[in-house]
Amino acid sequence: MAKKSAIAEFRMLEKYGIHPLPNGLAKTPKEAVAIAEKIGYPVALKLISPQVTHKTDVGGVKIGIKDKKRLLHAHEDILEGAHKYEVEGILVQKMARKGIELIIGGKKDPQFGHMIVLGIGGVYVEVFKDVTARICPITRTDVREMVGELRSHPLITGIRGMQPINLNALYSLMVRTSKMLVEEDMEELDLNPVIFDSKGYDIVDVRFVK
Amino acid sequence: MRKDIANLKYVFNPKSIAVVGASDNPAKLGNVILKNLVDGGYEGKIYPVNPKYEKLLGLKCYSDIKRIKGKVDLVIFAVPSTIIPKLAEDCGEKGVRGLVVLSAGFGEVGNFELEEELRRVVLKYDMAMIGPNCLGVMNPAERVDSIFFPFYKFGRPTVGEISLVTQSGAVGSTVADLAAYYDVGFAKFASYGNGATIGDADLIEYLGADPKTKQIIVYLEGTKNGKKLLDVLERVNKKKPIIVLKAGKSKSASEAAMSHTGNLAGNYLAYQAAFRQSKVIEVDSVVDLFYVASIFSQPLPRGARVAVLTDGGGLGVLAADSLEKENMEVVEFSKETKGKLKKVLPPYVNVVNPLDIVADSGTETYQKSLKILMDDPGIDSVVVIILFQAPAVDSRIIDVLVKESDRKKKPIIVVAVGGEYTKENRRILDGYGIPTYGCPKSAVRTLRKFTDYSLFLQNKK
Repeated sequence: MAKKSAIAEFRMLEKYGIHPLPNGLAKTPKEAVAIAEKIGYPVALKLISPQVTHKTDVGGVKIGIKDKKRLLHAHEDILEGAHKYEVEGILVQKMARKGIELIIGGKKDPQFGHMIVLGIGGVYVEVFKDVTARICPITRTDVREMVGELRSHPLITGIRGMQPINLNALYSLMVRTSKMLVEEDMEELDLNPVIFDSKGYDIVDVRFVK
Repeated sequence: MRKDIANLKYVFNPKSIAVVGASDNPAKLGNVILKNLVDGGYEGKIYPVNPKYEKLLGLKCYSDIKRIKGKVDLVIFAVPSTIIPKLAEDCGEKGVRGLVVLSAGFGEVGNFELEEELRRVVLKYDMAMIGPNCLGVMNPAERVDSIFFPFYKFGRPTVGEISLVTQSGAVGSTVADLAAYYDVGFAKFASYGNGATIGDADLIEYLGADPKTKQIIVYLEGTKNGKKLLDVLERVNKKKPIIVLKAGKSKSASEAAMSHTGNLAGNYLAYQAAFRQSKVIEVDSVVDLFYVASIFSQPLPRGARVAVLTDGGGLGVLAADSLEKENMEVVEFSKETKGKLKKVLPPYVNVVNPLDIVADSGTETYQKSLKILMDDPGIDSVVVIILFQAPAVDSRIIDVLVKESDRKKKPIIVVAVGGEYTKENRRILDGYGIPTYGCPKSAVRTLRKFTDYSLFLQNKK
């Protein structure tokens, strides 16, 4: 990953009408509290360090923080775990909804140009490799077909009384992402995970290489 | 269309052909090619070129291309690579429009400069070039043939509707050989090898506009211009089905990938995306290229409702399993159809789909049941399973199938598993445009792809 701060990455998305979970980067505990109060509890805290890619390995992620006291405590814990690393700040982010974790990604292929990828996300992404792709630009019809191509598509379209995810939201998110990939000439992009439920989605993490 | 690409008509339909490197030594490619043109019955002028001979196979032999008095449309090169750019220049000056360069020793072994030199000469004169490093072309209708495989080893397809574009000569020739064995005809064949000036997309475009070509088989390892390929696939596949096999899927994702997506998206994912986007028919084996192309001799099915007619219970059940797995509907017969069937079948036959008319049923039972299934508008295609091993069944069944197939109401495909006797009958059926399969699974897999293409065309309207 390019050494882009998470904040700059989130700003880039907003330009295309793609809204990640409300968040802010805090340099101090006091700033963290201010951000949390602005976006509302519960929140998650995430370590932002150029040397740490797997945040959970160093205890760099705390979730479900309900109030100021717990926030200050969690903040201290993260810094303690990361004392060996250079710390850019702590990301304070609204807690994500519960739902189906998808990965939406992009890549610039040497032959075909920008392509967009949709798959089942989360921790099993590398195991099941349940992904499908299209060459950009794409339409909503393309996305509808892509969903059908995933082996685990019943998770998305609903099984046994489980409500389907908000497909309309998925369609427009994909089309916007495709537009961004091309216009920003991105080399690689991950929106992972994007958590969907029947109402909408939360983009939890973003990475890209320009 | 680029001028050199339009000039492909001189490669596929030349009025005269020169073979540079012609020889009387049967071990040389130039000998096989010349012999194939003469024995194959090519009716245009043939000019052997080789300074060592006065005459070859009774034809006057020329010391170089420029010495030939008449017009030369196509030149086939079977000489060492290093002298080819110079000879191509001679061709350009003489007004030759098409070249087939069989010789290896260019970009594929790192001789990029030599290939570039050849490319420059060819484009300077707008010559259409197939190759280098390839098997070249066939056009069975005009007996044009640059394939350096002897007739007794490699069967030539008869005249038909399938055209084939292949990067690999090996894959292309095996598919053509299979087609020849099953008496399925070809319109054009092009093995383009390095594709120095004319590659996958150009040939597909050209064949897309060729009235003799009704289906296009494509074998690809990699493309030089993915965007162009996607564009051509999208446009041509709406007019005629394109059946693609892509090799090199296992190549690992780019090592430098830094994101999940980069890791997941190996070299193949982009090709798969392009194939899905253009709705071409992707297959994953060499024989499937042939199977899918040959099923298009049948009328397009309206939907996925299938009837199975068999004289062997087990094979019927296997077919039903495959149909379910491929998401095809093993349709329940209507009351009307059931009534009609009961009238023509022995009382011990259970009238359900798959319809097992049992092994002692003869040709007549097949004929009556098949006609009823063909007349039922609730059935989109019929899979006929024939146990040629059974005593009551013999080659007369072919007449029954051909008669029904000729009504062109809906597709009929045949499954016949077995040895020599079965294969002989399969070949005859395929020759009549009724596709046959050696197992229920490949039959159903092929029917699924055929149906998908048909549904794609229906949705487009």
